[in-house]
Amino acid sequence: MRDRGSALRSMASVPQPGMPNWLIRAGLPALVGAALVVAGPWILDTYMLNILVRALFVAIAALTVDVLWGFSGTLTFGQSAFFGIGAYALAIGFTQFGFGPWQALLSLAAAVGMAAAVAGFVGWLSFYPGSTPLYASVISLVLPIILVQILYSGGSFTGSSSGLVGFESFDLSLEGWFRLAGATVIGALVVASVALSSDAGRVLSAMRDNDERCTYLGIDTSLVRIGLTVITGVVAALAGFGYVGFSGVAAPENAGFVFGTQLVVMVALGGRGSLIGAVVGAVVIEVASAYLSSSLPFVWELIVGVAFVVVIVVLPGGLFGSLRDAATALRGRIGAAPVLALSPVTLATLERAAVAPDRNDVVVEADGVSKHFGSLSVLSGVSFTARQGELVSIVGPNGAGKTTLIRCLADGRERSEGTVRIAGHAIARLAPDRIVGLGLGRKFQAASVFETLSVADCLRIARVKSDPPSFVGASPLLALPAAARAVVESSGLAERLGEQARFLSHGLKQALELAMVLALEPRVLLLDEPTAGLTRTERQVFAGVLTELVARERLCVLIIEHDLDFVRQISSRIILLHRGRVALDGPVADVVDDPLIREIYTGNNRPQRGEVMS
Amino acid sequence: MTLTRSLSTLLAAAACAAILAAPALAADPIKIGVPVGLSGANSVVAPSVVQSAQLAVDEINAKGGVLGRQLALEVADDASGAAGAQKAFDSLIFQKKVDVLISMETSAARNAGLPIVARGKVPYIYTSFYEGKSCSPFMYVNAWVPEQQVPPIVDYFAKEKGSKKFFLIGSDYAFGRGMLAFTRAYIEKTGGKVVGEEYLPMDGSDWTPIISKLKSAAPDALITSTAGGAPNVTLTKQLRAAGVALPYGNLAVDEGTAKSMGTDAEGIYLSASYVTGIDSAANKTFLAAMQKKFGAELKTPNDLSVPEYEAVYAYKAAAEKAGSTEQAKILKALGEVSVDGPRGKIEMSKQHHAPLTMYLGQVQADGSVKVIKSFPNVDPGAQCPNLKS
Amino acid sequence: MITLVLDIITTAAILFIVSAGLLIVFGVMKIINFAHAAFITIGAYAGLGASRLGLSPVLAPALAFLAGGLIGVAAERVVVRRLYGRPLDAILATWGLSIVIGQLVTLAFGREVQFVPAPVSGTVMILGEDYSSYRLLMVLAAIVIAALFTGLLNGTRLGLSTRAVIMNETLAQGLGIDSTRVRLITFGIGCGLAATAGALITPLASVDPNMGLSWLIGAFMLVMISGGSLLTLGLSCIVLGGLQVLASTFISPILGGLTIAVLAAVALRLRPEGFARA
Repeated sequence: MRDRGSALRSMASVPQPGMPNWLIRAGLPALVGAALVVAGPWILDTYMLNILVRALFVAIAALTVDVLWGFSGTLTFGQSAFFGIGAYALAIGFTQFGFGPWQALLSLAAAVGMAAAVAGFVGWLSFYPGSTPLYASVISLVLPIILVQILYSGGSFTGSSSGLVGFESFDLSLEGWFRLAGATVIGALVVASVALSSDAGRVLSAMRDNDERCTYLGIDTSLVRIGLTVITGVVAALAGFGYVGFSGVAAPENAGFVFGTQLVVMVALGGRGSLIGAVVGAVVIEVASAYLSSSLPFVWELIVGVAFVVVIVVLPGGLFGSLRDAATALRGRIGAAPVLALSPVTLATLERAAVAPDRNDVVVEADGVSKHFGSLSVLSGVSFTARQGELVSIVGPNGAGKTTLIRCLADGRERSEGTVRIAGHAIARLAPDRIVGLGLGRKFQAASVFETLSVADCLRIARVKSDPPSFVGASPLLALPAAARAVVESSGLAERLGEQARFLSHGLKQALELAMVLALEPRVLLLDEPTAGLTRTERQVFAGVLTELVARERLCVLIIEHDLDFVRQISSRIILLHRGRVALDGPVADVVDDPLIREIYTGNNRPQRGEVMS
Repeated sequence: MTLTRSLSTLLAAAACAAILAAPALAADPIKIGVPVGLSGANSVVAPSVVQSAQLAVDEINAKGGVLGRQLALEVADDASGAAGAQKAFDSLIFQKKVDVLISMETSAARNAGLPIVARGKVPYIYTSFYEGKSCSPFMYVNAWVPEQQVPPIVDYFAKEKGSKKFFLIGSDYAFGRGMLAFTRAYIEKTGGKVVGEEYLPMDGSDWTPIISKLKSAAPDALITSTAGGAPNVTLTKQLRAAGVALPYGNLAVDEGTAKSMGTDAEGIYLSASYVTGIDSAANKTFLAAMQKKFGAELKTPNDLSVPEYEAVYAYKAAAEKAGSTEQAKILKALGEVSVDGPRGKIEMSKQHHAPLTMYLGQVQADGSVKVIKSFPNVDPGAQCPNLKS
Repeated sequence: MITLVLDIITTAAILFIVSAGLLIVFGVMKIINFAHAAFITIGAYAGLGASRLGLSPVLAPALAFLAGGLIGVAAERVVVRRLYGRPLDAILATWGLSIVIGQLVTLAFGREVQFVPAPVSGTVMILGEDYSSYRLLMVLAAIVIAALFTGLLNGTRLGLSTRAVIMNETLAQGLGIDSTRVRLITFGIGCGLAATAGALITPLASVDPNMGLSWLIGAFMLVMISGGSLLTLGLSCIVLGGLQVLASTFISPILGGLTIAVLAAVALRLRPEGFARA
C-alpha cells in the first residue's frame, strides 16, 4: 500500500497550529459548563436542583435527537423509546434483583445491550438503499407505540401503566446527582461536537445534504445511518438509565410517543443542528414547564404549540440557528467572507499507486442490458464494451435511453435484464456504493455537491473511502489525486476551499463535482451532459481536461453529450442510441457521417448538422 | 373556561387563605399540598377535588384552625402522569415546603411521587380509590381498594340475579387489570365462573371484536373496569349499540359520568363509598355547605372528592392528637384518629388503609344513582402486611 | 362467523372514513397532515354543537365539513403553504398545529367527555345475527364518501385540475392551472373530510379534546401504504382492518391494536412506494 508520508508532496506549507481547533471550539464552553456544574449546588435551591437533574438527563436524549435530525437529516420521534429502554432496564433490574454493584452493572449492560439490539433492528428496517427519510420517521413513530404497549401488558414485571417504583437505587446526594448529570451533559456535548466537527463527522452533514451523492462516492450511507442509530440509541438509553436512577420511578410516559415528540419540540426550538441549542432547548422547556404548567396547565401547552409552529415555519434553525445566522450576517457586513473552516486548508497531491498494467483493459462490458417500466421498454438488449484510454460518447435524441443506460451501469438494481461488468467484476444487484468500489465514478447531470459543506470538505468526503478520516480532528491538509487537484486548481476552486458549496457559481459547482468524482481515482468515468450551461471557453477548458485524463491517466470515459462538434473533438468512439437500442457503434468519423444519424435527427425535425441535437 | 375557573378558584383560595390568616399572624399557616391532575386524564374530576379541599380548609380556619395555626392550600398540577407528578411533588415538598400532602391522583402519578415523599419525609394522605397494595410508611389511604368495591357487585349479581357466568372487560392498565384480577379471583372463590376476560389498549376506541366475543360467550353478567372518561364512554355506547342488555356492573363509572351519559348509562350497577344520595345528616350538611360556597361553580361531589375533604379533617385530628405538626408524630397519629364525615366514620387503621361503608347503586333513567343496598364497614384486607398498625 | 365478517366490513368502513381526508391531502400535496386528528376532534365538537342546537343528525356531518374545511383553509394559508418544499417540516408544523387546536378546544369546551346521542340506536337482524345498526350505517357512509370523492375528481373541472397537479405539477402550472389554489382547496376538503369523520364516529365514540389522536397513527399508516390512491386505500382498509379484527378476535385485542402499525411498517419496508400501482 502507499505510504502516506511519502505520498504527500507539498508538505512544506502545512500550518502547525499550537492547539487543535476542536479543543478551542469545545474547550471554552466546556470550562464554563464545568464551572456551572460545580457551583450549581451552592447557588440553587433543592427544588431547582431536582428539576435540573431531570432536565439534564432529558437534554442528553434531546442531544441524540439533534444529532439524528439536525446533523444526519433523519427526523425521529422514537428516541423516547431508547430512553425508556434504559429507564426500564434499571427499574426492572433493581426491582427483580435488588440493588447492588453487580445488579447495577448488569442493568447497565442490559440497557446498552437492549438499546443496541433494538436500534440495530430499527436501523436495518429504516435504512436500506433507496429508503426515504419519511419511512424512517414512520418507523420511529411506531417504535415507542409498540414499546409502550409491551410495558402496559407487562403486569407486575413492568408495572403496567403505574410504572415501577419503590426499588432501592444509587445512594447519591442531590448535589452528587446534579454534578453527575451536569458532567455527563458536558461530556456528551464535547464528544459530540468533537466527533461531529471532525472529518468523519462531516459525513453526516454530507448525507443530510445529499444522500445520493454520498452513495456515488462509495459511502454505504445505510450502514452509516444504522451505526448512528445504534450509537444515539445507546446514549439515549444511558440518559434514561440515569434519569430513573435519580428519580426512582420508571413510567410508560418516559418511553412514549408524546415524549418523543416533546424531544423534537425541544430541539426545534433550541435549534436543530446546534448541539448547545438542543441542550438549552431541553433545559429551558423542562424548567419553564415545571414553573408554569402548574399555574397555567393548558395555556402553557398552547404557548409551546404556537412557538413550535412559528419556529418550524419561520425560523427552521431555531433559537441558536438564528443566532448563528445573525452572527454570520454581521460578520458579512463587516467584510469577512462567509468562511466555514477556522484554519486554512492546504492542498497536497497524492501519488497514484502504481497500477499493474492490465493485459485485458476492457473495463466496461454491457451485455443485453434492458430496462422496462411495466410494458414500456426504455432499453432493450444494449451490448457494448469500452476500454481504458477510450472516450466514448453516447448520443441520441431525447428519450433514446441515454441517462437510463448510465443508471444501469452505475446501480445494480436498475436494469431489468442483462449483465454489466465493471473492471471485470459483474455488478449483479449491487448498490451504487459497491460499484464505485469497483472503480466507477459518476457525475450527475445537474451539479450534485454538498451545499452546506465547504469546498474542501466536499472533496474530503470523496476521499473517505480510501483515506479513513479522523474522528477527533479536522485535518489541515487535503491530499488529492493529481487529476482531481488539477481540476481544483485550473478551475479556481483552490482559492475558495473554505467557502460553502452553495455559494459557488454553476460552472464551479460542476467543476467541484468533477473533482470529487476524480478524487475517487476511478477507472471508469460516467458523465451526463457535463457541458450543459457552460460557456464556450469553459467548454474548451473542459475538453482539454478530458483528453488529458484519457491520455495520461488511461481513464475510460463514457459521456452523454448533445453538442456534436464537441463530441467530434473529444471522442475516440461514438455510440448512437435510438429507441433504447444501439443503432450505431464505431469510430467518430463513421458514426457522424452515417446516413442513419441524419435520418434519426431529421425524422425528429431537428437541424441536420445541429450544434445542439436534443 | 376550565382555565379561568381553575385560575379563579386558585386565586379565591389564595385570597381566602390570606384574609383568614390575618388574625393568626403569630404563626405561619400550616401548608397542605394538593398535587392533582389539573391537566391530562384526571382534569375532569380534579376541580371537584380542589373544591372539597377548599371547603374543608375554610371550615377549619373559620373555627380557629389547627393548633392555633391557619391552614393554607398549595395546589399543583401533576398532569395526571409520572413526569408531571415529579415536578409537582418537588415543587410542593422542596419549594413550597408543605407540611402534608393530601391528594387524589392516578397510580402513575402517586408512584412517581412516592420516592420524593420519602426523600422529604412528608406525610401523604392518598384519597383516590385504586387497585390496592401500594405501601409506604409515609402514605395513608382513605379510599377503597378492590377488596371493598368488588364483592358488593359480584355478590348482588350472584344472589339477586342468579348470575353464574361472568364476562370481564377492562382497559389495559394497572387499575383495569388489577381490579379484574381481583374480580376474577373473587368470582371463582364464591363459586361463579369467568367465561371471558378481555382488555383493550388505553387509547383504543373500537371495542367491536370484544363485544362480539362477549355475545358469543353468552354470559349472565358483565363487569367492566376501564380507564375513566373516554374508554368507559365508548365501551358503554358500543355495548348499547350492539344491543347488550346483561346485568352490567361498572367498576369505573362515577355519578357525574353516569348522569351525562344519558340513557346509555341506565341500568348500570356501580359500587362506591360515596354517592350524593347517602341519607345522613353529615352528608346533607356537607352538600349544603358546598352549594353555599361554590354556587353555580359547584362541581358535583363524588367518590374521589369527598375523601379529600375528609382527609383534611383527618390531618387536623392527627395534628391535635399529636399536639404538633412534626412529621413523625403526625404519621403515627394518622393511623389512630377517626373522622366523622359525609361517608360516615373513617379510620385509616388497617395497614394504612381504611374500612369503609360501601354502597351498591344503580343508574336510573334520569341519570341519578339509586342506592340499592349498603355494606357497612367493609374491610380493606391485608394491603400492606409489612407496615405496622 | 357472520358477526366476524360484519365486524371486518364495518371496521374497514370506519377506517376508510377516518383516513380519507388524510389521503387526499397526501395524494395531492405529498404532505402528511399530522393535524388530521385535531380536525377529527373539531368535527366531533361540531357534531356536538349541532345536537345541542337541536339540528337534525343528518346535518351534523355537513356542519362538521364546513367547520373543518374553513379552519383547514385558514391553516393552509397561514402555515402549510410555506412548507411545500419541506415535507418533514410540514409533519412537524401540522403536529404543532394539532397541539394548538387541541388546547384551544380544551379551553373552549373543557376537558370533560361530552356526549352526542346516536341518531340510530339498537340493532338490526342481518342473516340471523343481531348487529349494531349504526355500524352498518357507517358502511353506507363510507360508500357515499368514496362515490362523492370519485365524482368530484372525475366529473368536475376542479377534479381535472387536481389530477393534473397530482400527475405533474410543473406541467399543470404550464397549462395555466393555479396549483396554489388547487392545494388550498384540497387541504380544505381534506380537513373537512376529517371533520366529517369526526362527526360520523361520535355516536360510537366519546367527544373529548384528544379523541382524534387514537385514530391518527392507523390512518397515517393506511395512507402511507395506499400510496395515495383511493382504491388502494379501500383495499388497505379491508385487508389491514380485517387482520386487525382477526388478531383481536383470535389472539388478543391488544395485539389487534398494533396490527395496522406493524404490518404497514413491514409492508412499506418491502414496497416503499406503497401499493398504488400494485
